[in-house]
Amino acid sequence: MNSKHIACAIVAVVIALLVQFTLWFQNSRSAMQRQAETAQFAETAAADQLARERVQLAELRRQSTDLIGFLKTWQPYFQSIDNAQSAEVNYTMRVKEANLVNLAQRFELGTVKNNPSIPTAMRTYLTFEDDYPRLMNWLGELEVKMPTLRISSVRLSKGTRPTDLRAEITLEHPLLKK
Amino acid sequence: MQIASKQIDDFKTERKDITPPLPVILRLVPLLLYCSIIVAVVLGAVFFLQLQLAIKKREGHRIETENIAIETQKTQSERAALEAEIKKATDIESWVAGSRPIQPLLVEIARSMGARSSLIDLRIERDPDAPAQLKLAMKIGTDTTKQLDTTLDRIASQDYRTFSPQQNLGRGELDYRATLVSRQQRTPDVVPETPAP
Repeated sequence: MNSKHIACAIVAVVIALLVQFTLWFQNSRSAMQRQAETAQFAETAAADQLARERVQLAELRRQSTDLIGFLKTWQPYFQSIDNAQSAEVNYTMRVKEANLVNLAQRFELGTVKNNPSIPTAMRTYLTFEDDYPRLMNWLGELEVKMPTLRISSVRLSKGTRPTDLRAEITLEHPLLKK
Repeated sequence: MQIASKQIDDFKTERKDITPPLPVILRLVPLLLYCSIIVAVVLGAVFFLQLQLAIKKREGHRIETENIAIETQKTQSERAALEAEIKKATDIESWVAGSRPIQPLLVEIARSMGARSSLIDLRIERDPDAPAQLKLAMKIGTDTTKQLDTTLDRIASQDYRTFSPQQNLGRGELDYRATLVSRQQRTPDVVPETPAP
């Protein structure tokens, strides 16, 4: 092997390197094109998911319009007295203002079953002995003024005087979860 | 076909050959080098442009995917918030449904008493598991069941239906027990009578 053969071999190696470099460049381009395609698929999938989410949200909004309207109407009533102390003060004041013969009054914090948004309620146990119309008017007015109030039990019986009525009432005031 | 030695440079300087000449086929090697350089440059340029375009495209899709993901997350958060509101509304509705005023019912029962009858004892309790249902227990001072029919009519006028009634008449007293279920449930269109605080 003489110097001419060596020169030829070197040139052949240079040619091979050029081919190799071109092939490497082509491979890099192809790999990048594949990545671009993958990114495009990912974008399409994400766009589809977004479209589905938006459709579900719109459907949920449409289905819950009445319920959300109901919540907006009633929530201020539930939020007006949202702690046990305020509820206790409120009912004590109302009983005093009514000037009824109040034999007993007791407050207790109780749990509410199957209602995660209203986990507790202030229970007020009241015993009155007074005139029937006065008692009924007070009770009716209380239910109108406090629309969230729940009368959980009431017992009416004869009072000690012939015109009197004995009323044992249990009221429940909901305490909304904060 | 023979290639003329003067037309193609075979990297030899003009000197007397001291080694034997290369075979004719190997004279193509320089030509192949020139061609490969040209092809490599052209293809390299094309591949480079395509590579740049692919990078730009990939980055564009990536940024767009990230934006969509942010938008999706926002939509999911809105949905979760709405679901929480719906749950709260359902709970409040359930409370309101079980809080129908019972004073009108008490008044109707009391007013139903005739001249020869009296209400000795009246007890109404809400069922803790189903607050919309009322457990009624009353003791009426009467000799006949006619008074009970009148009272039940007045209860029905308040949109209550009676279930599981039990009655016992004896010694001028009538014991009556029943479960009352309202026909008119409070629905989302119900608005409180008093203005919002």
